[in-house]
Amino acid sequence: MTGFLVRRLGQSFIVVVGVTIITFLLTRLLPGGVARAILGPRASPDSIAQFNHDNGLDLAVPQQYLFYVNQLVHGNLGFSYRLNESVNGLLSDHLPKTVILLGISTLIALGIAIPLGIMQAVRRNKIEDYTFTTLSFVLYSMPPFWLGLILIIVFAVNLQLLPPQGPQGPISTYLDPTELSALVLPVMSLALVTIALFSRYMRSSMLDNLVQDYVRTARAKGVSTRGVLYRHVLRNALIPIVTLLGLSLPGIFSGALITEAIYNYPGMGLLFWDSAMTRDYPVLLGVTLVVAVATVAGNLLADVFYAVVDPRVRITD
Amino acid sequence: MRISGLRVLAAVGLMALALAACGNNPTTQQKLSGGTATWAEAPNAKPNYIFPLTSGGFFSVANLSQFQYLMYRPLYWFGENGTVKLNSGLSLANDPVYSDGGKTVTMKLKGWKWSDGQPITSRDVEFWMNLLKANVGSWAAYVPKEFPDNVVSMSFPDSMTSVFTLDKTYGSLFFDYNELSQISPLPQHVWDKTTDGGTVGDFDRDPKQAVNVFKYLDGQSKSVGTYNSNPLWQVVDGPWKLKSMTTDGHVAMIPNPGYSGPVKPTIAEFDEQPYTTDTAEFDVIHTAGIDYGYIPTQDLDQRNSLTKYTFSPWIGWQITYMQINFGNATNGALYKQLYMRQAMQHLVDQDGYIKNIFKGFAYPDYGPVPIKPASNFASAFEQKNPYPFGVNAATKLLKDHGWTVNAGGVSTCSSPGSGSNQCGDGVASGAKASFKLEYASGTLAVKQEMQALKSDFSKAGLEINLSEAPFDTVITDAFGGSNVADMDNWGGGWIFAPDYYPTGDEIFSTGAGSNGGGYSNSTNDSNTDATTTSNDVKALYTYQDFLAKDLPVIWIPVADAVLALVKKTLHGWDPQDPILQLYPENWYFTAS
Repeated sequence: MTGFLVRRLGQSFIVVVGVTIITFLLTRLLPGGVARAILGPRASPDSIAQFNHDNGLDLAVPQQYLFYVNQLVHGNLGFSYRLNESVNGLLSDHLPKTVILLGISTLIALGIAIPLGIMQAVRRNKIEDYTFTTLSFVLYSMPPFWLGLILIIVFAVNLQLLPPQGPQGPISTYLDPTELSALVLPVMSLALVTIALFSRYMRSSMLDNLVQDYVRTARAKGVSTRGVLYRHVLRNALIPIVTLLGLSLPGIFSGALITEAIYNYPGMGLLFWDSAMTRDYPVLLGVTLVVAVATVAGNLLADVFYAVVDPRVRITD
Repeated sequence: MRISGLRVLAAVGLMALALAACGNNPTTQQKLSGGTATWAEAPNAKPNYIFPLTSGGFFSVANLSQFQYLMYRPLYWFGENGTVKLNSGLSLANDPVYSDGGKTVTMKLKGWKWSDGQPITSRDVEFWMNLLKANVGSWAAYVPKEFPDNVVSMSFPDSMTSVFTLDKTYGSLFFDYNELSQISPLPQHVWDKTTDGGTVGDFDRDPKQAVNVFKYLDGQSKSVGTYNSNPLWQVVDGPWKLKSMTTDGHVAMIPNPGYSGPVKPTIAEFDEQPYTTDTAEFDVIHTAGIDYGYIPTQDLDQRNSLTKYTFSPWIGWQITYMQINFGNATNGALYKQLYMRQAMQHLVDQDGYIKNIFKGFAYPDYGPVPIKPASNFASAFEQKNPYPFGVNAATKLLKDHGWTVNAGGVSTCSSPGSGSNQCGDGVASGAKASFKLEYASGTLAVKQEMQALKSDFSKAGLEINLSEAPFDTVITDAFGGSNVADMDNWGGGWIFAPDYYPTGDEIFSTGAGSNGGGYSNSTNDSNTDATTTSNDVKALYTYQDFLAKDLPVIWIPVADAVLALVKKTLHGWDPQDPILQLYPENWYFTAS
């Protein structure tokens, strides 16, 4: 196990370094200069030269990369001149907002998708199964921006029941009872799609397990149907969901980009969107790096957790 | 035909104004006290710099007019009743007094107070000036040889009086509107230090230490997320102070109870809401979720269905143009020919673009001084079109100067030389009238306008090769000497703020920092100098009439700055300020 972890960590490090090189080069290939874009049309040539010097932009590209990495190893993800804030500060402001959005929507999705998947598996090929299968396909195949716009038109514009945008203001106000209504539509947008996805996995996994030998054995031993389902099948059927959750960890850091943009929800997704639109290189690099690390970590965690919960999986050094 | 069209537009405009006035008339409504007013920031225009001695790229309407000025008042306030003029009532000092033939200016403070109860004194003016003089390179509005270089000495005879001695005689219009307008007294008794834990002293009086003070304050301004908790920014002299602010641009302000100005806020809170796109903002408008917002141009047809709002176009103090690169290796010689620029200007159908593309919410631009809002700064000549739209006129100019015109194709020079009927110096035989125009992406109206212009230019055989790029790229290319294009339209032109007197010394003078096209004309330079030294507005007329004829750029229509929508329950916002400043201290709600 230790050797496995060391190997995986080594691989992960190489992947992260590769990601920093690729994203750094890609952003530098974009047309236009940073200094003029940031300082504006009134900037003098002297101030532009000074800006380039201060930020290492007058160096050769390899040196610019080393400049960036040097800052990184000192815990400095960079500084956004557009937003006039350190990337660390931006992440600490936006990340909790995305955690709230994705956390609540994931919990709701799990709370609905797992029982739904079980019910569909137990009632396979019955009217309930067909109904929810159809609904899942509709929701899962619906583009997020489309679903978001439909929800806004129905619940905000026509019925005037809910605000069309997420909460605004400092994070301390997000869970304020008066602001909760602003969370409903963004959470619903994400949860509906996630329910569709998770319930399909859950149904499939349950069906796979229901025909396994251990289920037949349990039934032969006289375990009740409920006992078979919840004590034996459910635990094994949850393994793909655990993997899915591990793989969705990067989503917390990248944010639900489309959903956040539609609802003007100031999380990581909107931060990334804004940065891409305005070529805010430091933020793009910072967020990309954090997402890369989260992706690697999520995969690693999923692998390890998979081995822990499934005794059939054995990792050898 | 076009005149009739304009009259119709004018009539519609007057009706809209009348309706807007009715919608904003609360005579039968009871004024409510309190409430939170929300205002929509323009897409991707978030305030992000609080220190009023603004550096680098933070010098923007979003940071100055719509953020800093709410908390930190300039020494002299410009903007009154929807016009651009010195507002003595809102200024911190009495009107400046000139003496010694205009070489000395005296400013006497009114005795208003900071929010901590301390008086605003001449020491606070001196603090600003000392920081500025020691850090001019970091100040976004610095123009060499102008402010503060032109202030050769300062004295502060008492706590309320500041006296500047200037290097020469300046016109009071220029010096008031463009130089003194830049001053914002700073709370020296709180900010004159170099570290967080350091004591407050007279560091600013030592130029080396003044650099450190500036670095400290500029550094403190580089953390938007701490603005509302940093004690520095709690001392203000404006009607508002920060309650909270996030890095995504959400601002909440509450009244400063110690504000000394004539109008105290009556609403309890003023919030600025950030939006990445105008679509997201318009979604909120549909649910009446914001008090003061805007309608995207492409959605203008829906404005009558928004019954909870008053529609009120907001006109800015600006000009709009396409910059042409006189130094371009391929086409610089063509641009240097006045007849070529005249032909181009003849091919800009401003009335047509305003009517068909901007749906009436724009106005023509024929010169370097804004013609709206109405002021005595725009000359009669500039307000008439010296080069009215006409393909025949453009074609004649080209033919008269040795060009073989190929309508729908590319015209070529067939008679090179410097004679009056030849193509002009530097234009070779066979030279093609083919140009590269780069414009800012993201605004549908600008895209349509450029496509229409390409079509109109082709009628006289002037080929325009269009390319679209983000705003940042366009200004980078326009000011960086790029060969990607030889004409640039970044979609915003030039807003005269806080240099309110539209002299153009920053944009059209030889060698001026923002003269990206490299236009150079000694007559214009002389005219521009006269606008800075004369007290007579006729100097400005001479300057603008010359440039309206000489065409340092190609003038195009000015779109209304904001197509504002204001809830009918919100009052006190009208008239809107052409400098795009906000006055939420005037706002109040009524029940319906």
